[in-house]
Amino acid sequence: MSMLATEEKLSVTGDRSTPETRIEDGGRRLGLMLTLPAQLLVLFIAVFPLLMQLYISLTDWSPLDGIGWWQAYELWNNFANYTDLAADSRFWDALGRTALVMAICVPAEFLLGLGLAILFMDNFVGKRLFYSVMLIPMMVVPAVAGYMFFMLFQSGGPVNDIVSTLIGRPFALAWLSSPGTALIAVMIADIWQWTPLMFLILLAGLVGVPEDQMRAATLLGASWSQRFRTIVMPKMKTIIIIALSIRVIENFKIFDTLYIMTGGGPGVATETISVYIYKVTQQDLIWGYVAAIALVILIALSILVSLAISRMNAAKEA
Amino acid sequence: MTAIHLENLVKRFGAFTALKTMDLEIRDGEFMALLGPSGCGKSTTMNMIAGMEQPSGGRITFDGRDMNGVAMGRRGVGFVFQNYAIFTHMNVYDNLAYGLKVRGTSASETDRRVKAMADFLQLTPMLDKPSAKLSVNILQRLAIGRSAIVEPAIFLLDEPLSNVDAAFRAVMRTELKHLQRQFRQTMVYVTHDQLEAMTMADRIAVMDHGVLQQVGTPLEVYNDPVNLFVADFIGSPGMNLLKGTLADSDRGLVIDLGALGVTAPLDPALSAVARTNGVREVVYGFRPERVVLATAGQGLAMPVTFIERIGARTVVHFGDGEQRVKAVFDNDIAVQTGETVHVAVEPRFARMFDAATGVAIREV
Amino acid sequence: MAGISFRNVTKRFGKTLAVNNASFDIQPGEFFCFFGPPLSGKSTVLKLILGLETPDEGEILIGGKPVNRISPADRNVAMVFQNLALFPHMTAGENVRFPLVERKVPEDKIRARVEAVAAKLHISHLLHKPPAQLSGGERQRVAIARALVRDPVAYLMDDPISALDARLREETRVELKRIQRDLGQTLIYVTHDQEEAMSIADRMAIMEEGEIRQIGSPTAIYDTPVSRYVARLLGAPMMNILPAVRGKALEMADGTISLPLEAVPDGAAHVGVRPEDLKVEPWNDARPGRPATVYEIEPLGGYTVVTVDTGAEKLKALMRGQPDIRLESAVALSCNPIKAHFFNQAGEAVSL
Repeated sequence: MSMLATEEKLSVTGDRSTPETRIEDGGRRLGLMLTLPAQLLVLFIAVFPLLMQLYISLTDWSPLDGIGWWQAYELWNNFANYTDLAADSRFWDALGRTALVMAICVPAEFLLGLGLAILFMDNFVGKRLFYSVMLIPMMVVPAVAGYMFFMLFQSGGPVNDIVSTLIGRPFALAWLSSPGTALIAVMIADIWQWTPLMFLILLAGLVGVPEDQMRAATLLGASWSQRFRTIVMPKMKTIIIIALSIRVIENFKIFDTLYIMTGGGPGVATETISVYIYKVTQQDLIWGYVAAIALVILIALSILVSLAISRMNAAKEA
Repeated sequence: MTAIHLENLVKRFGAFTALKTMDLEIRDGEFMALLGPSGCGKSTTMNMIAGMEQPSGGRITFDGRDMNGVAMGRRGVGFVFQNYAIFTHMNVYDNLAYGLKVRGTSASETDRRVKAMADFLQLTPMLDKPSAKLSVNILQRLAIGRSAIVEPAIFLLDEPLSNVDAAFRAVMRTELKHLQRQFRQTMVYVTHDQLEAMTMADRIAVMDHGVLQQVGTPLEVYNDPVNLFVADFIGSPGMNLLKGTLADSDRGLVIDLGALGVTAPLDPALSAVARTNGVREVVYGFRPERVVLATAGQGLAMPVTFIERIGARTVVHFGDGEQRVKAVFDNDIAVQTGETVHVAVEPRFARMFDAATGVAIREV
Repeated sequence: MAGISFRNVTKRFGKTLAVNNASFDIQPGEFFCFFGPPLSGKSTVLKLILGLETPDEGEILIGGKPVNRISPADRNVAMVFQNLALFPHMTAGENVRFPLVERKVPEDKIRARVEAVAAKLHISHLLHKPPAQLSGGERQRVAIARALVRDPVAYLMDDPISALDARLREETRVELKRIQRDLGQTLIYVTHDQEEAMSIADRMAIMEEGEIRQIGSPTAIYDTPVSRYVARLLGAPMMNILPAVRGKALEMADGTISLPLEAVPDGAAHVGVRPEDLKVEPWNDARPGRPATVYEIEPLGGYTVVTVDTGAEKLKALMRGQPDIRLESAVALSCNPIKAHFFNQAGEAVSL
């Protein structure tokens, strides 16, 4: 094939692409000036609440003090909120509990969603119907879902009835009022509600895997699991990272369903970060402290998400 | 190295029949081109050989083994897709290595074979490059290499040259043919380009509307097309086809072409067939390359309407409307647009078709 | 109908020289083709003529008048995009009049113009029919009539038939050329198909990297290319280019071909041999020089492409008919020195 190298240079094909007219530097400057007001507004909307939060987090300010928030500097407390937070075991317990819920729910939702999405790649009788039914949990208002599961997990509720029937003797566990099981019930509810979202996103990803590349892999002798590992997963990397990021962020903020089911109890057995913040804000009204908590969480989440995004970009580069 | 046998193969998509009872034997180590316009059933046939589609009827055997129900991954078939289906998330090396890796070939053996293949296809400089950004010329070689590396018994190619530019296509035609000759693999090549089929194939299966029209070597289908479709589809320009009526003359059987006059007496053997056949309305066919200039009083008198000089050859167009003739000459031909010249064809190069059915009238 | 001229026209996009110091004169009524690889600047030349781009330097003349400052709309140059396919829901006549209706030309003028064009193309009797009832050839004529129904000073076409299949392309290009000749219009045509360019152009310009390398009739460029580059652009298979060594004779391709020194101009470093000029004959030991081996045979029917391996390189020969040549057999190569092309180290053509 000694001719290849020289022939390529001489090749002649359709000439549709021409150098685009470059935007000159002057035009770019004009563009910047025209969009500047809008950009400033966006910056203001995004940055102002953050700065305000940072400011208040350094003080003992509370709306009950009778002074405006801008005068909070009078209550400057030398970073006491942050030192208190470091020693606040209720905060750290809540954070740990949130992490635990996340560590169980997100992978469970991912695996269930992926399994269902793979099932839905094949055709079967009643696929459309199942598809609609699958999406119902996602559309239920979280508060309503909360009441639903609250009823389901009563000691005389349907869950215990089913378990009784299955094991053939009476079973009356007070799910929501025993510290060991309340968190399990809450996690089941979360998985029920959010698996469909994972399913939807991952199905979109699976459909996007080029069929001819799958066929090519099959013809090269790859088994189903080999195709899944070497073609499907790499192609879906980006969409998986997006799906996981969405659920990690959302799950970290788990609140409404949980609060209606258990109110964070019994005791503090299901108290997650959001519930804790809610209680501190609404019941204790120590807003400076709340602002400090919120900032710490924001920073932690930002680090997590930027890690995910950098992984995603690395995946795209490769 | 496997013979492929298609027996009464039928493929229907709902009410539409894509392939009507196809019988074809592809010999061990043969380069077979499936040639025809889009929608003729050639790709459907190939997909069934690969196992990507299931036949609605009939069967496919590889060396006598019935392939019905054998999954596509287990047929030992290499397939080069029209768009190459390169794994865009892998680099060139991993694409080449894929078939070996999934078979569990050892790392050192894989490495050795990938490097040998890369060397052979001149892909060595880009082994580490991501495959998503390569030019089609390189993708094409990569696709061939990726399939060839696992040494399939049967190689199927679906219009692999339709996306590459003209100059590179010419080079690849020669190289693909040479590759196949070296490996002696059974190769099935789908194309709509008669030039590709002519230049590369050992035999061509010409298809139209789901029906196999003719199977033969390139020169067989070129020289002796079985019907008007094949006559027109093969060759560039295609065969000249003029309507006429058989008539007796004192010199033997001739074709009366109406306003153009009568042809030279037909070849005696062909005349004999035509007489027993009893057909009168015929189509007179001859290749543009077989036309020669004759002296006045011989051949057909035709006005030159257009002259195209295309590099090494000159295509001269004669006549107008239904009675048009094209002739291919060397560049030293001295004719001018507007003048009337006499063109003739040696009787042994003249072909004849039944005007009603389009089927060739010839010795069996 | 008008001529179009470029006087030292240069167009830059940022640092890229899209068109560099181009000068040419397209005669009124000429069929002029721009041919070159992608990004060689041919589409930019079209845009400059249309007025979609303004030159950085130099002058563009249409009908002898400078048009650098005249807007595209006022240049009266028609661009025909890839639209040689008919609208199936309109009759042939509606198809032909469509470009004029779209431009809100008065009805009486439309009628006169459509009649005139239809008469020239011999399609007057077909105008009431829908495209489905027309034969392939008639459809082409109608499509061309629609492309040519406007009355501009020149038509520009950018690869207008590349979407058609091979057989229809062969027919359509001939039809287009004949009609252009009948109408006597100036037609500027861009194509990437060398066969098409050679078939229809009265003259053509070969472009490379924004520069015009050669202008002339296809035959003149094919027969006497000014450089190796131009020589390899036209012709299929491409011209064989062989490094040459001066000894007792000019030796090429490992001594499989040689030319007498008196036939070779000074400075010739490479020899170009068109495939049709490379003679391939069975080897016999009485001959001087060395044999080559037959590497591949590609029958085209009327012609046969034979690739021979000389050891140093592979050469292609185009032979008439269906010669009886065996694969792997030894063959003798030769070339008539008159038919050979000589190029110096820089790739420029040199002659005696």
